[in-house]
Amino acid sequence: MFQRFFIEPLDRFYDKIIQFLPNFLVSVVILIVGFIVGFILRMLFLKLFRAINIDKFSERSGAVEMMKKSGMKENVSDLLSKLIGWIVVIFFAGISISALQVPTMDKLLESFLLYIPNIFIASLILLIGYLVGNFLGRTALIACVNAGIKISGIISRFVKFAVLILSVTMALEQLGIGKETVVIAFAIIFGGVILALAVAFGFGGRDLAKEYLEEKLKGAEERDEISHL
Amino acid sequence: MRKDIQDRISEIKEADILVGIPSYNNSKTIGHVVKAVHAGFAKYFPDRKCVLVNSDGGSKDGTIDVVQNTAVEDFQSILLQHRVSQVFKLSTPYHGIPGKGSAFRTIFQIAEALNVKACAVVDSDLRSITPEWIELLIKPVIESEYDYVAPLYHRHKYDGTITNSIIYPITRALYGRQVRQPIGGDFGFSGRLARFYLTKDVWETDVARYGIDIWMTTTAIANDFKICQSFLGAKIHDPKDPGADLSAMLYQVVGATFDLMETYSSMWKTVKGSEPVQSLGFQYAVGLEPVLVNLDRMIDKFRLGVKELMSIWKSFLPAEITVFLERAQGLKKEEFRITDEIWAEIIYRFALAVHKKMMNKEHLLKSLTPLYIGRTASFVSEAWESDAQEVEAKIENLCRMFEDKKRLISENWD
Repeated sequence: MFQRFFIEPLDRFYDKIIQFLPNFLVSVVILIVGFIVGFILRMLFLKLFRAINIDKFSERSGAVEMMKKSGMKENVSDLLSKLIGWIVVIFFAGISISALQVPTMDKLLESFLLYIPNIFIASLILLIGYLVGNFLGRTALIACVNAGIKISGIISRFVKFAVLILSVTMALEQLGIGKETVVIAFAIIFGGVILALAVAFGFGGRDLAKEYLEEKLKGAEERDEISHL
Repeated sequence: MRKDIQDRISEIKEADILVGIPSYNNSKTIGHVVKAVHAGFAKYFPDRKCVLVNSDGGSKDGTIDVVQNTAVEDFQSILLQHRVSQVFKLSTPYHGIPGKGSAFRTIFQIAEALNVKACAVVDSDLRSITPEWIELLIKPVIESEYDYVAPLYHRHKYDGTITNSIIYPITRALYGRQVRQPIGGDFGFSGRLARFYLTKDVWETDVARYGIDIWMTTTAIANDFKICQSFLGAKIHDPKDPGADLSAMLYQVVGATFDLMETYSSMWKTVKGSEPVQSLGFQYAVGLEPVLVNLDRMIDKFRLGVKELMSIWKSFLPAEITVFLERAQGLKKEEFRITDEIWAEIIYRFALAVHKKMMNKEHLLKSLTPLYIGRTASFVSEAWESDAQEVEAKIENLCRMFEDKKRLISENWD
């Protein structure tokens, strides 16, 4: 009785442990190697990024401003090299889990690994969206100020916001989160903003339009004749 | 170059003098310019082989036809003896980026192909050009072996404000030569210098547009060509296209000036002070047409710039300047001033920001527009009651300020 209910399961458990142990050890070794390789690559990339002056470039492109706004205080070179280090560790962790040869873990790992590229692409879309939004917002701001448009700031923010909304929508679609809902929501928000602007211009811009048409039809009252060159 | 132009060049073979006229939709004014050049050839260079080249940017108003069909019908009103030798006329569309610089490049190429001794370029919108301009721009090259003849004009006190407030002071402070109209637009130069210009690979940059004038002048000064300036009288021209974007113009001219600072940094860093350039021609006072100025609108544009663009400027202008600008924004029209000292520092700080690539170059330079308009408003206000001499004295003071503050840029460049 004791043999059947206690010793035999214990023997089976022991056999399984004995079978599992080599896999476990291999898995641990792979993970340790992963950490070491990750650390070495992190250091190598850090040196490379510093050599090619990536921090200065990021400062000019507005990426540093974005990071500071989101509370990050590290340099872009530190951050990117850390990211590369962690990607390597995750890659080795995947191999390490796979070395355990547990079917459930394998399936989980497979779906996780398949999702990683989506996260990467979505992050890239957001980053590019932020940078392009900033650039186009600034272009619009300077052009509007030089044209003497009083609502330059609003136009600039609108341009920036529109590009950001577009990039967030694209990123969410990439991640597969509420695919259709997001696109519909974007269309509604964007359409709403345009309608609101049209109405606002219609009511608020009557005088401006009148002034503009009068100037066009009658000619400006006093035009500068300065020849700049 | 087009086949028919190449054939025409082979037909002409060689020439002594070439005058180039860049054009784009100037049918109303170019006829007068062609006549003046033609008469200049006849009156001052009757025994020389002369060529007139019109380099056109694809005009749709018949500019090329006007050039081809214009001739001086009655030489007796200008000359005692009729000129015998023929004036060759070439009209060609230029290739490359649309702009004055590309038009000049074609003129230089034709000058090189014809192996000319002396060249001149004159704007096609000039109303005050006379045959004497051709003599004054060409003779120093032919008779005194000058390589570059810059123009010297009498202009209205509010005319040429980019020249007076930025380009003349900074060029003089950097390169140490007092060329009063470095972007005047009408220049004389030797065939040797035209060939030198063609060796430079700048035709895909802003030099191909409005940057050409400052590039020609700076290249001549920085490469030790023999330079002088000729007094041409009054410069009266058709107002530039009112649709032309001031910020684009400013970006091209100032951008080209800052690019040249990169090219010749080792040269300008060693220069201290400035020296006059030999001036030729008989100087006389001229009457000038009044210029309308809307001071309120200019100050409004400055205020809008300060309100909206301050965050951009704060990234490279020191606190004392941004505080000054914020204070200036609140001043009444009568009290509104941007001092010489502040203005010189602003220009040098922009040059440093462009050099250190602190932001997209176009954004940076176009953001200078409201400040430039503010400075122009300040100058207009200050010079309201001043005569030409007093205005010239004010510009001289500004130039001295640029020279005094040059250390700011020399010490922070590297």
